[in-house]
Amino acid sequence: MRIGRVIVLSLRTLARNPLRSLSMMLGVTIGIASLTAMASIGESTRQETLRQFKRMVGSYDVVNIVPGAASTRGMPSLTTVEPSLKFTDAAAIAAEIKGVRQVAEVQNAFDIDVKYREKATVSAIYGVSPNWLEMRDYFIESGEIISAEDNASLARVAVIGQDIVTGLFPDEDPLGKQVRIGNVPFLVKGVLVSRGAGPGGSSLDGIIFIPVLTASKRLFNRDFLTTITAQLDDPDRPEAVVEAISALLRERHGIVPPGEDDFTIANARANAEQIAEVGSTLGTVMTGVAVIAMIIGGTVIMSLMLIAVSERRREIGVRRAVGATRSDVMLQFLVEAATVSVLGGIAGIALGIGGATLAAMRQALPVALIWETIGIAVLVSVGIGLVFGLQPAWKAANIDPIDALRS
Amino acid sequence: MIEIEKLEKTYRRGDGTPVTALRDVSFKIEAGEFVTVRGASGSGKSSLLNIIGCLDTPTSGTYRLVGEDVSGYSDEQRSHLRCRRIGFVFQSFNLLPRTTALENVEVPALYSGERVDERKAAALLERVGLAERGGHFVSELSGGEQQRVAIARALMNDPPLLLADEPTGNLDSAAGESIMHLLTELHAEGRTIIVVTHDEATAAHAGRELLIRDGIIAMDRLQVAASAQVPR
Ligand SMILES: Nc1ncnc2c1ncn2[C@@H]1O[C@H](COP(=O)(O)OP(=O)(O)OP(=O)(O)O)[C@@H](O)[C@H]1O
Ligand SMILES: [Mg+2]
Repeated sequence: MRIGRVIVLSLRTLARNPLRSLSMMLGVTIGIASLTAMASIGESTRQETLRQFKRMVGSYDVVNIVPGAASTRGMPSLTTVEPSLKFTDAAAIAAEIKGVRQVAEVQNAFDIDVKYREKATVSAIYGVSPNWLEMRDYFIESGEIISAEDNASLARVAVIGQDIVTGLFPDEDPLGKQVRIGNVPFLVKGVLVSRGAGPGGSSLDGIIFIPVLTASKRLFNRDFLTTITAQLDDPDRPEAVVEAISALLRERHGIVPPGEDDFTIANARANAEQIAEVGSTLGTVMTGVAVIAMIIGGTVIMSLMLIAVSERRREIGVRRAVGATRSDVMLQFLVEAATVSVLGGIAGIALGIGGATLAAMRQALPVALIWETIGIAVLVSVGIGLVFGLQPAWKAANIDPIDALRS
Repeated sequence: MIEIEKLEKTYRRGDGTPVTALRDVSFKIEAGEFVTVRGASGSGKSSLLNIIGCLDTPTSGTYRLVGEDVSGYSDEQRSHLRCRRIGFVFQSFNLLPRTTALENVEVPALYSGERVDERKAAALLERVGLAERGGHFVSELSGGEQQRVAIARALMNDPPLLLADEPTGNLDSAAGESIMHLLTELHAEGRTIIVVTHDEATAAHAGRELLIRDGIIAMDRLQVAASAQVPR
């Protein structure tokens, strides 16, 4: 029998038993719908996580050097890091490592009290070298950015984030006002553009930038750094530069392998991918749920097909009598199972994409249409039909025609 | 066309006891003959026809179909023979339900490996007097009409041999008579036809009559029927 004919025959048979066909499709439809929806939502979430991460780190063409051996949990701050990274280390990296475009210095602490007249709030304070804001894509909404001059003269100037504006200057222009960070007075010199949410949805705007030397000498009285950020000439191949920086720092800190490093170099892009991966691992678990739904769908197909085979004994007998071989009958029932499963799968894909689109729209996420998943969904439904159609088809093929035709 | 020698068929009942349906059956049928097989219920007529139609295999003995010994053929080989050499007509019509008359006629062509020729199926329906009924579903046809569709189906792959197991058994006498008339015409067109029947009136259409009693050929006689000539 020609396969085209068998498919036509299957479609005809299915169309003439619409109720049974729909029941057979249902399980596969649900399974494929959840598979497609989950894959699509998972991809939307992954892309959004990457975007949020990018918003936090600004750009991916940097590596961050933080004090301490293994990667410290959470963000480094003056209270959580060991005092191993010095200003001189930053200068040495900038001067000696090829492939490093520029180096920024950071000295930061969290939850510092900030006051303006009677109003008070807490903020992350970042002492940064003047090039840092630009390297990490921070933009000024009004006023000015920190200058090299400010840093060199230990000026007490601050550039504040939108959450600080909301907290301290609800109905005032903050520019030119004096705020007290800790108990040190600073002049508000600029206001940052809002950055929105970072990974996990927390605000990135509760932040104040001051010159790093001012921070070190006038606010925190610490001579070590919490982060050295190095911008790379070739962000696609960070390995050699990372290795060179490690070697330099080991030499400067007198570390001889196998002695443990007192610093960690983190690649922003690698981190982002890793975090996004966590999201897709969750997707894998959800895919497991879809697989279970499809196994149930396949079982439904199998049992309804087995019933159909019993009911269609006479048809099978007739086909055998007029020349169908066992394999012809087997093929017919296999194709029928695969066809009904694929129809169910196609309905499921439509449903799943519809659902994912709705979900994405509600969370204001971009819709991710993954052709790969659609292709897999089609193959999976063919597979379900073939696997679960096997037993009914085998049973049909082995019906004795004489028996089946006896009235 | 058919050479049967010392044919024996023994079934096993569910409890294992053997039932011999045919014993020591030998006869020949030449191409172009019209033969009826008559006998009481349980005498072995269907058993014989099923073996001739390659639906079943003999327990012992040989069966030659057009010179080929097919007694030892595999299931698949017999399927191919049924497809191209044999047309089957049953007492209970055995048309596919929820399927049109035309689609029923086309079924054997699905298995012949050739293109399904819709015009040929339509022509066959016309030949059996159902030109207008091609699009009708089986359930919309009378018994006599259903049996005509079944005959058209049996002719779809141009088999030289046409077998009918009590084709008039489920029909009233008028419809039965017209079916027998149709078979007589098909015989006149050159086909070899074997019809199993209970009753003598039906047997009278044929040129030769085999009488079976308890699995044995009790009588084999030529007769000059009103419409049948024996081409010998
Ligand atoms: N599959 C089978 N298993 C066991 N016994 C069988 C089987 N098929 C037929 N028989 C027996 O073989 C004998 C002949 O049966 P067969 O069907 O050939 O008779 P028949 O002449 O066609 O009868 P009828 O006119 O009632 O159709 C009967 O005794 C029947 O019970
Ligand atoms: Mg019988």
